[in-house]
Amino acid sequence: MSLVLSGIRKRFKDRDVLRGIDLIIPNGEIHGLVGVSGSGKSTLLRIIAGLETHDGGTVTWEDMPLDGVPPHLRRITMLSQSPLLFPHLTVGENVTLATPNRSREEAEAWLARVKLPGRYDAEIHELSGGEQQRASFARALAAAPRLILLDEPFTNLDPGLKSELQRLIRDLVRELELTALLVTHDREEAMLVADRVTLLETGYVRATGTPGRLSETEPTFGDFVELSGTFYPTTDIDVSTEPTSDSLVLVRPFSRFGHHFGEYRRPTGEYVILPRSESFKVGETYYLRQKQGGI
Amino acid sequence: MSRLLVACFVVFPFIGLFLTFPTSLTWDESILNTVAYVIVVGFVNVWLGMGTAWWLLFTESRWKSWVEWLTFLPLFIPVLASMFGMYIVLAQIGFIGTYTGVGLVLLVTTLPYSIRLAYNAMYVIGRPLLEQTLTLTPLTRIVFVLFPLMRESVRTIVLFSTVIVLSQFVLVQLIGAGLVPTVTTRLYQAYAGNDVSLALQHTWVLVSLPVLLYMGLDALFSIWIRLVKGRLQ
Repeated sequence: MSLVLSGIRKRFKDRDVLRGIDLIIPNGEIHGLVGVSGSGKSTLLRIIAGLETHDGGTVTWEDMPLDGVPPHLRRITMLSQSPLLFPHLTVGENVTLATPNRSREEAEAWLARVKLPGRYDAEIHELSGGEQQRASFARALAAAPRLILLDEPFTNLDPGLKSELQRLIRDLVRELELTALLVTHDREEAMLVADRVTLLETGYVRATGTPGRLSETEPTFGDFVELSGTFYPTTDIDVSTEPTSDSLVLVRPFSRFGHHFGEYRRPTGEYVILPRSESFKVGETYYLRQKQGGI
Repeated sequence: MSRLLVACFVVFPFIGLFLTFPTSLTWDESILNTVAYVIVVGFVNVWLGMGTAWWLLFTESRWKSWVEWLTFLPLFIPVLASMFGMYIVLAQIGFIGTYTGVGLVLLVTTLPYSIRLAYNAMYVIGRPLLEQTLTLTPLTRIVFVLFPLMRESVRTIVLFSTVIVLSQFVLVQLIGAGLVPTVTTRLYQAYAGNDVSLALQHTWVLVSLPVLLYMGLDALFSIWIRLVKGRLQ
């Protein structure tokens, strides 16, 4: 039971966008598709959703070939960069329309899950960009899909909102045991949200693996620092602004994924990243991209 | 001042009409034919216009540009020229002087514009938003999203086709061969025969039909949207 892509090819006029994509995504996995613009990742997503036809290969979902199956019979929903809510309907009506039973109660429950309780009767223009994206996510989930396709859904959001929504979507997809395919050009985002990542390059699969493995084996994937639950909050670490022989010096505080981190310099001159708040969950792993001289 | 001038120009042709409102209206065949053509041609224009525009927007067919070109061809060629071509074809299959022949000629005259209007509206709404409707069943898509979202375009298509149907004289005479009476053909006879009473009556039909249709469509869409929203509450 999984999403199986076999030899998917797609050509636009005189350009081969996909040149034989083979990929197996097990049920329940959040899979990241990473690549630069033009690498074919969004086209692949649109082919799976049935919004685009492919020139070769097969798409199979839960042992059912999807070739020729219209989008409304696939039980697949897609979340895009823009919220794309229907402007003549209220926020809640947009969600109700997607529910299989046209149930207001169900729609209200979904809105509450995405932290929009009591906004059923709000007009679309009354919501902020982030709220609209959350409503759009509620609509996508309300359709009771088994597979959800996320086409760079965090691109147009500000950093704070972005990390909040990233965590919300990741947690809900896991809780509902859905399979998700996330398209992004942001490798850090893929590291945070995805269980496994596929690196696409000019229509080919360059590599597939866990984010940790890819960051080790694929130079183009990026150089990431792994922060895992083995790190402890820094409340009991000797931190000062004046270096002593055994203290860490706080160079720069920063936030990622809703957590507070600090970039510290050891007396020996090397840089380390440590969490600065208790909100950092022990057992979870985060990856931060490393740049020269620190994060 | 300029606004007043424009208002005068708009109102001027109607002053005489308002002063001589007919006291009675006799329903004759020509009025019934015209009303029937308005309804049928309007409905087919909405149906085929939106359907073709949807196809043009979403198709990946390599014939798309050809179909687009053929569909919009009547926009570039003078109507009389293309209609004379149609006259020859319809004559071959025995449609001259028939209701079907007149219906066809009215459709051919209006459909390219309706397709263009619907296509432009869909283009403005945007393919990404319209793609969201693809996860809905076709009926739900049309009833809950497409028609409410495109109500202004639907209204424009209907009114446009109505005005064309009401104002066509030459083509109706050419294809109808004088055997298919409509308000316009009667009106020209009335003008020629100096029958002021008959001319006035038919002129009022010409004025009233689009106005009534506009109000009717407005009411229809209000009810439609209320029903759609009620169903989602």
